[in-house]
Amino acid sequence: MDFANIADKALLWIVLLPLFGAVINGVFGRFADKSMVTLVGVGSVAGAFVLSLFSFFHLVGLKGALGDDVAITNEVYHWFSLYLGSSEIPINVTFVFDSLSGIMAMVVTGIGLLIHIYSIEYMADDPGYARFFTYLNLFMASMLILIFGSSMPVMFVGWEGVGLCSYLLIGFWYENGSYAAAGKKAFIVNRIGDFGVLLGMFVLMMATRSLEFDDINAAASSLGTPFYFGTFELGATATVASLLLFLGCTGKSAQIPLFVWLPDAMAGPTPVSALIHAATMVTSGVYLACRLSPVFMESATAMAVIAVVGALTALVAASIALVQNQMKRILAYSTVSQLGFMFAAVGTGAFTAGIFHVYTHAFFKACLFLGAGAVMHAVHAHGDADVRKLGGLRTKLPVIHWTFLVSCLAISGFPLFSGWFSKDEILLGAINATMFWEQAWLGWLVYVILVAAATMTAFYMFRLYFLVFWGTYRSAKVEVEAEEDSSPGASIPPPGHEDDHGYDPNPHRPHAAIAGVLSVLGVGAIVAGTVNLEPLLHLLHVHVDIAGAENGNIWGTWLSGTVVHFVPAGEGVGALSYLAAVGGTLATATGIGLAYVWYFKEGRMPMAQVTGFAKVLMNKWYVDEFYDATIVRGSKALAVFAAAIDKYLIDGILARASALGVSLISWLATRPQNGVMHSYAALMVVGLAVIGWWFTHPHTNLDGVATRSDVTWTTGRGLGYEYRWDIDDDGEADTEWSAEGNSASHTYGHDDWVGYALIFDGNRTGESEEIFLDDSVVVLTESDIGRGWEADPEAGTTPPSFRVDEDEIVFLKNDARARVRGGDAEVEERLHPGDTVQVGSLNVRIGAVVRASLEVRNSFGNVARDTSEVVIQPAPRTREVAALEAVPATQGGAR
Amino acid sequence: MSTGGDFLFIVSSMFALGGAVGTVLAKSPLRAAMSLLLTIISLAGIFLTLHAHLLAAIQLIVYAGAVVVLFVFVIMLLGPESTTPAGEFRGLMTRTASAAIAAIVTGGMAFSLVRTSMPYVNIHQCPEGAECGQFGGVVGLGSELYSNSVVPFELISVLLTVAIVGSIAIARGRTQAEAKEVRERRAARAAGDADQAAREAKLTAEVSAHGGH
Amino acid sequence: MGIEIGLGEYLALASVIFGIGAMGFLTRRNMLIQLMSIELMLNSVNVMLVAFNRYMPENHTGQIFAFFVIAVAAAEAAVGLAIVISLFRLKQTVETDKADALRH
Repeated sequence: MDFANIADKALLWIVLLPLFGAVINGVFGRFADKSMVTLVGVGSVAGAFVLSLFSFFHLVGLKGALGDDVAITNEVYHWFSLYLGSSEIPINVTFVFDSLSGIMAMVVTGIGLLIHIYSIEYMADDPGYARFFTYLNLFMASMLILIFGSSMPVMFVGWEGVGLCSYLLIGFWYENGSYAAAGKKAFIVNRIGDFGVLLGMFVLMMATRSLEFDDINAAASSLGTPFYFGTFELGATATVASLLLFLGCTGKSAQIPLFVWLPDAMAGPTPVSALIHAATMVTSGVYLACRLSPVFMESATAMAVIAVVGALTALVAASIALVQNQMKRILAYSTVSQLGFMFAAVGTGAFTAGIFHVYTHAFFKACLFLGAGAVMHAVHAHGDADVRKLGGLRTKLPVIHWTFLVSCLAISGFPLFSGWFSKDEILLGAINATMFWEQAWLGWLVYVILVAAATMTAFYMFRLYFLVFWGTYRSAKVEVEAEEDSSPGASIPPPGHEDDHGYDPNPHRPHAAIAGVLSVLGVGAIVAGTVNLEPLLHLLHVHVDIAGAENGNIWGTWLSGTVVHFVPAGEGVGALSYLAAVGGTLATATGIGLAYVWYFKEGRMPMAQVTGFAKVLMNKWYVDEFYDATIVRGSKALAVFAAAIDKYLIDGILARASALGVSLISWLATRPQNGVMHSYAALMVVGLAVIGWWFTHPHTNLDGVATRSDVTWTTGRGLGYEYRWDIDDDGEADTEWSAEGNSASHTYGHDDWVGYALIFDGNRTGESEEIFLDDSVVVLTESDIGRGWEADPEAGTTPPSFRVDEDEIVFLKNDARARVRGGDAEVEERLHPGDTVQVGSLNVRIGAVVRASLEVRNSFGNVARDTSEVVIQPAPRTREVAALEAVPATQGGAR
Repeated sequence: MSTGGDFLFIVSSMFALGGAVGTVLAKSPLRAAMSLLLTIISLAGIFLTLHAHLLAAIQLIVYAGAVVVLFVFVIMLLGPESTTPAGEFRGLMTRTASAAIAAIVTGGMAFSLVRTSMPYVNIHQCPEGAECGQFGGVVGLGSELYSNSVVPFELISVLLTVAIVGSIAIARGRTQAEAKEVRERRAARAAGDADQAAREAKLTAEVSAHGGH
Repeated sequence: MGIEIGLGEYLALASVIFGIGAMGFLTRRNMLIQLMSIELMLNSVNVMLVAFNRYMPENHTGQIFAFFVIAVAAAEAAVGLAIVISLFRLKQTVETDKADALRH
């Protein structure tokens, strides 16, 4: 068996297994036993994970043998082709497993598998168990298509697919109106971003004539050319494309200004929050940026925008998380903030650092969410758990406590935990970016913002940790009413009634599934960072090569084949990396320390009544209110306006007018149908008369086909028709009446010409076109000769023109590039029929117009006369040596 | 064409046109029938100028001898009622419009057809006893009728039989016994309808009474 | 005679008679006269057929056709007059305007 062949096939099955799982559970799940649903739902993902693992090790082997930019590809089928002008752009469904998509696939299937296993226990009592696994499997399939797609359209299928699954899973408990609304909000906000992705895709397609990532990246260096919207120059193609794609990323990856959906997305079940809204889907924006890193690297402007937006998102989201009281809500803002870190890395050219943070973040954030979910599950909190009612869970739920603690340390960037490595890389990237941009202060600004955000991160995470796990359990003595909620199926919260009761006084410890998954993720949160030991080794002044990677940077080496990375050069680079490590570690220490002092030592509680700036933070900087006042109300006003137009203009005037027209016509049409036989007979007579006229008169149908100077004229046949030709239209008949002559040929000479014409040999639409020349001047427009016709755009933009002068055609080339008879055209050229001018991208031939007329007579003695014109292309009057050299060899041979 | 033929054509066409106008304009149907007879006889003359001797004879026998006589019989049968009262022509509008349509159609047709010309074929130059000399005669037309056109000819006999049966069926009317039977049937149906209506009315009343509770 | 009588003249005569017949059919209400107008139109068509046949005397197609037209006209007259009698029995009139059941 061919190992490589199996790997290719495995790639397809990684995607197909979850898809089949979704289909099977979707169709049969509601009738099937729960264990069968579990087997299909979890088993398919487990299979995908195993196959991913297999492909990954196969890729490792290939990389060792063939080099860094090797990839496993599987071309599944040809989907469709686009045609852009004359070039065909084939869209193939091709899956690629290279170093970047390999890492993403490992994260998605690995974390995905763990979360599936976790869901077995977490969702056990939910009546929508099969539906949940259907959606989750569908999400896995979509996400894997997004990752593996080798071209933008295939990626976009996955992109939309994960958006759909996100919507379905946020609104999973759709009986609750606000949950369903949260789903809609996520979907609509994502649509705004998706339109950016589409436009970006089109821009790249127009510029590179391809939609394959490889082709686009290969052509990235040519994207500095300006991009025109109509005639308006928008900026460099790379900038336009990057910013449009980044708009998509702000939607999918919850960046400013489109981050508002992600906190609301916590309405979905907690495993969904962990898988989709923390570990995988929201990072697909980072993935897309890394996938197209050469394009992004082409535009310093776009990179600066991305970096600043990312850093600001990190800061703003972290600041909101400082004062929130719901566990999942804090974690949601934390996710937004961490995504901001990733985009700051992308924007500063540290793409590998960004994807590194995606990878480490997947572990500790999944662990945090699942831990939060486990807490909620244990205390029977529905929707979300309020930290003010928790506390002291350290002893009650030890497994959750320990895994939560290591994840908090990891996300805070505590040294040697995974988050420390990736955050250090990001901070280093920001510092390096001071050399990347012409404005060095931008890099420092990003660095400062990120350090501030990291400080807040450490603070709010440990605030959460201390409030939940230390102190005393504050909900134990609240109403006994909570008991009744422990019945099966109670995880569906009643509508409009969320978390306003006390929690279970005796939190139960999680079973094997939840505890096991949390433990695995907790270990991951600690050790995941070891794949890039460079920061550590650097700080320790050790220089060793591990596994063939320079200085322990296994990560960067691994990705070097697929992701471009800004490599700083120059003095002081080493010193700057200390700054990154020091800044990050100081931020961690400050944040943790403050949280320790306030919430552990002093035992502070969240304020019951928030005031001042805290209130602004509590209300999320009033962003939702701002959007509501501007965009939502604006579109509502637009809708009211459109409705008014529909009501008064369309329905009121246009519909009535058309109805009136119809009734008028029907009134007219029903007049003859009056039941009076005489009028029917009269109409019949009229009809018969028309038919009689048609039959008693001959009909000509004169048409000419020219080959050079010879024209063959043909006309229609008819009963008893006789023809008489005046083939040169001089007023005298050239033939006698004849029943046979419905066709005639004639070779036209110079004297027969009655006018001149321009023949366009294939304009931009590829069609041939004829323009008859009269006394006026024919000016060629850009639609005829295409863009770029000017010889020198600086000198002037007067288009070329033609006009008739006596028996010559005068061609003024004006500011155009033009060639006549194999050489550049003079300012004014005098042309004759048969000559050819090349103007811009268009070939213009000069033709002559000839005319013929014909009389047709039928046996009723009626005669019809017809005259027709046709353009001929006579041989050039004079042939010059240059022209002869220019003609193709076949014609040259006839000479 | 011979001068005699031209003369016959002109005279016949004058009479034919006069007869046609008379047919259309005559107040009394009897006068119209007589004018039609004149037209038909004139057209027989036209047929003669066209060397259609047998057809001219058939025209006289069938049209003048049968169709016009049938018309006259019916007019006699209906008596003075067959003459519609004064103001028999339609209103001025209808009359003008119809006349205009017919005039335009006629004029257009005549104008476009009058220039038709085809070479004159002199049938009389056929050799003695040859078949072409029999053009329009009993032998020529008859042999054509019973060879190439025998199927349509037989179908015409079927058509005429159907027409006779149809005419009898339409014109015969009902005997007194039949008419009585029809009257009784109609009365019974009307009674049934009334019954049905009464039942429905009762039902409606009941339903509305229940709705009133 | 100044006029050369040819096919055109025959056709013109036929079309004029046809037109008169059409005019009669359209303007008269008396069903008997309408039937006569139809006979006029049929006759004019016969004239055309026979005239064309005269100028293409290779066979008798035109005359045979005219023969059949005469037969059909006879059948049509018989049925038409039966309808007139039937109408008269029903409405005591031969005016076509009175037979307007189609209209209601």
